Amino acid sequence: MAKCLPRLACLPFAVCLLFTACLPPAAANADTTLKLVEVLTSPERTDTLKGLVGDFEKQNPGVHVEITSLAWSSAFEKFATMASAGDTPDVVELPDRWLSLYAGNGMLQSLEPYLAHWSETSRLTERALQAARAVDATAYVLPYGLYLRAMFYNKALFRQAGIAAPPATMVEFLKVAQKISALPGKSGYCLRGGPGGLNAWIMFGAAMAGNNAFFKSDGSSTFADADWIKGTAWLVNLYQDRLAPQDSVNWGFNEVVAGFYSGTCAMVDQDPDALIAIAQRMKAEDFGVTSIPKGPAGKAYPTLGYAGWSIFKSSTHKDLAWKLIQVLDDPRGNLRWNERVGALPIYQGAEKAPLYSDSRFKGWFAELADNDEVPTFMPTDLPGFAYFADSLVVRTSQQALLGQISPEEMNRQWAGYLTKARNKQLERARHE
Amino acid sequence: MRPRLNRSAHATLHYALIGLYLAFALFPLYWMLKVSLTPDDLLYGEGVRLWPSRITLQHYTSVIEHSQFPQFFRNSLIVSGSTALLVTALASAAGYGFSRFRFRGKLIIVGLMLVSQMFPLVMIVAPMFRLLSPLGLTNSLTGLVLVYTAFNVPFASLLMQSFFDAIPKDLEEAAMIDGATRFQALRSVIAPLTLPGLAAAFSFVFTAAWSELLFALMLNSSTAASTFPVGLLAFVSKFSVDFGQMTAAGVLALLPVCGFFFLIQRHLLQGLTAGAVKG
Amino acid sequence: MSERAEPYLYTLPAVLLIAALLLAPLLIGLSYAFRDITLLDPGSGGFVGLEHFRELYADPSFWNALRNTVTWTAASVALQFGLGLVLALLLSRPFRARGLVQLLVFLPWAVPSFLSALNWAWLFNPVVGPLPHWFASVGLMSAPENLLADPKHALWGPIAANVWWGIPFFAITLLAALQSIPRDLYEAAAIDGAGPWRRFRSITLPYLAPTMAITILLRTVWIANFADLIVVMTKGGPADSTQILSSYIFTQAFQRLDFGYASAIAAVLLMLLLAYAALLVLLRHFLNTRN
Repeated sequence: MAKCLPRLACLPFAVCLLFTACLPPAAANADTTLKLVEVLTSPERTDTLKGLVGDFEKQNPGVHVEITSLAWSSAFEKFATMASAGDTPDVVELPDRWLSLYAGNGMLQSLEPYLAHWSETSRLTERALQAARAVDATAYVLPYGLYLRAMFYNKALFRQAGIAAPPATMVEFLKVAQKISALPGKSGYCLRGGPGGLNAWIMFGAAMAGNNAFFKSDGSSTFADADWIKGTAWLVNLYQDRLAPQDSVNWGFNEVVAGFYSGTCAMVDQDPDALIAIAQRMKAEDFGVTSIPKGPAGKAYPTLGYAGWSIFKSSTHKDLAWKLIQVLDDPRGNLRWNERVGALPIYQGAEKAPLYSDSRFKGWFAELADNDEVPTFMPTDLPGFAYFADSLVVRTSQQALLGQISPEEMNRQWAGYLTKARNKQLERARHE
Repeated sequence: MRPRLNRSAHATLHYALIGLYLAFALFPLYWMLKVSLTPDDLLYGEGVRLWPSRITLQHYTSVIEHSQFPQFFRNSLIVSGSTALLVTALASAAGYGFSRFRFRGKLIIVGLMLVSQMFPLVMIVAPMFRLLSPLGLTNSLTGLVLVYTAFNVPFASLLMQSFFDAIPKDLEEAAMIDGATRFQALRSVIAPLTLPGLAAAFSFVFTAAWSELLFALMLNSSTAASTFPVGLLAFVSKFSVDFGQMTAAGVLALLPVCGFFFLIQRHLLQGLTAGAVKG
Repeated sequence: MSERAEPYLYTLPAVLLIAALLLAPLLIGLSYAFRDITLLDPGSGGFVGLEHFRELYADPSFWNALRNTVTWTAASVALQFGLGLVLALLLSRPFRARGLVQLLVFLPWAVPSFLSALNWAWLFNPVVGPLPHWFASVGLMSAPENLLADPKHALWGPIAANVWWGIPFFAITLLAALQSIPRDLYEAAAIDGAGPWRRFRSITLPYLAPTMAITILLRTVWIANFADLIVVMTKGGPADSTQILSSYIFTQAFQRLDFGYASAIAAVLLMLLLAYAALLVLLRHFLNTRN
């Protein structure tokens, strides 16, 4: 018996020893290490990030930046698990949807004191500052770009269907979609019925209602109003009349963009960052970008999103972290970053930069210049918004598209949830 | 006449069914291969064709040269191999114990092993991360091997138990009467008879560890400690799913597994000689 | 000392590892079911007793997910086991190129579930995959459409992918078990005049029974918890028609960030699986004592 025990026990120990030896050696001695996490990862973007970070390290000898790149499809769960276990970075890339969660739970450092002393703060646009201060009117994030929805359209399919110009109103949009759907195997609109489709429901609902107020003065949601319901019904009818592909009821971001560049559907509403992927796969003369179609009141409400950089309160190198953000996000760094990322600039007068005077961005700047296109921030600062957008909206909108519930019923459920969330938010504000 | 007809009809049926299984198993893999050889611009236009009009090896060269896949494969090999070895050792011991002995707490131990399989892994990940992080076992291959071993031991133990159950106790009892210790009897008499079971457990654990994603993703954030399924996820970026490179990586990953199965299959198909059991 | 301590020495290493790495986090995870755990919210963590279970009882999405879980698990296990057993039987008698065939039919098991899900989603997509066109030409569908977007039948897409992926599991383990049946038993039975079905029932089945029991039990438990294919292929949709308990748990945990509620659902699933395991053990006991 004495013989077998050591033998049985040796094996696991030997195996463990074997690859503690195999593990890569610990990082070389650096005076300070900053941890940076990026979440909207793609290989080309990481290269640009490494370039900017390299500049920072040259300016600050003795400082090493450790970059962790999370795959976007699982970034939220992964980062939430790490953060809840205390494994927090110094600087993190923060999408707008995450702001209310991390800022609301007091995990982010307020950037106001840094902004107050920064030379570039005065050059930030009004909208960028508004985005930064979405939670508690305090800047918890420094945006690096704004994502404005516009309508991509397939010029080749338009030519095939004999359509001369992209639609400017919802009425024209419907007509165009009908003409394209008459072509065999093609559809007019790339509907996003799966996760992330909330933007379209909001845009068309607001356009029908002629305003983008989400809440009335008494704090109840406007979704239950007849005009917003008309917007929902408009989109549901579009799907049920087969003006969008049959399986688009389940389409997420990848499927929608793939549907567009494969020529399956002719129009898709998307942000400027999709431009890069589409431009890689379609010839420049085959696609164009135009403003979101206007509703009966003559106005449209394209949604506005953003992503930026934040500092965690738990960081022990906050000032150094701010220096890193400066390198990433000052006018020069921001331009270089957006060349790769494709978001709209946060600095005033940036349209004059060669990157943006490119004809590809013309569509967005035209949209921004049009007074009847009113960029609208979605209420991402509401508590529980992520669940609303990713779960409740997906389920109920799919039920509505498939005819299992009526548009009224869907809007009623949305209004109920949002009113509750709004009340919770107001109560929280009262207690502070 | 009749027996002969039956035999050849039998054989034809046999081969026909095998053919059907082969077709079912291989068709999706063939499709993956086809997509990996299709250039990006033809991916959607010619999607439904059984073979693209123009093939390219560009995806394979990208994966081998420009991505970090060689390192991911190496990590996966280390993790899967170590896990399979560790599990087979621990599970054979435990399976033997369950099969041959009656002891207090046996039911509880088996019950606990079963229960450990019943809880969704999603709920275990967060507490596990919190447990392993201070021990330095996150972002490490060692931590991953330990976790995989813990997860696979219950099934492997119960599987080995069922194999040991099929071997009558008199065999090692005979050897022990002749003067050997139980462990010696186990090693020289019983173990060779359970070689198919050992091979089955080993190959099962190897491939399970090879293709596991959730723990590899959640417990590791550094690329130095990432395995190949995690590497595959990197092809799904916010803007596109790079199917060409992803399927190329998937096809490449099948090669080591093929090699592994090739080595193992001899043991899986070994039959018992008639005499050993009768005695 | 050795006699009494022997069994513990054989089983202890395994037990210690499982206790430390699996059972400890499991107990912690289970405890969330009785507390209000909202991820990242420092104010949460209070004890709420059976509150989550009451909420669960009244939640129609929960019952929908439960129904889907039963369909998903039963269909997957039945098809995987049935087809896997036939394959194992086919491979158990020697023939030319048997080694090569065995290697090829086991390959699906080596593909990571996420890649296999994307591949199958691709196959079902009428724009890029052949299956809808084949279904249409055979008459199963009126026009080539995506099975995964049809709420009535969408679940069969992930089931097909699951069966493809899981047949090798049963085939490998049952084949290994078949290999340990002594050949001379069959010869003796043949000499006694028993036909193939009789031989199968009285020799093969009893020898396979222990392996069958454990593989079916564990496979059912795993599949009930296995949401990867569904999450990647249909994300639980359309309209929750493919949502199973395990994917619903994921939604509650990581979208609503309500770990307490998610854990309560997981606890219910655990209870159901324990009941199922107990049933299976009793059944085997009953069959054993009968023989």
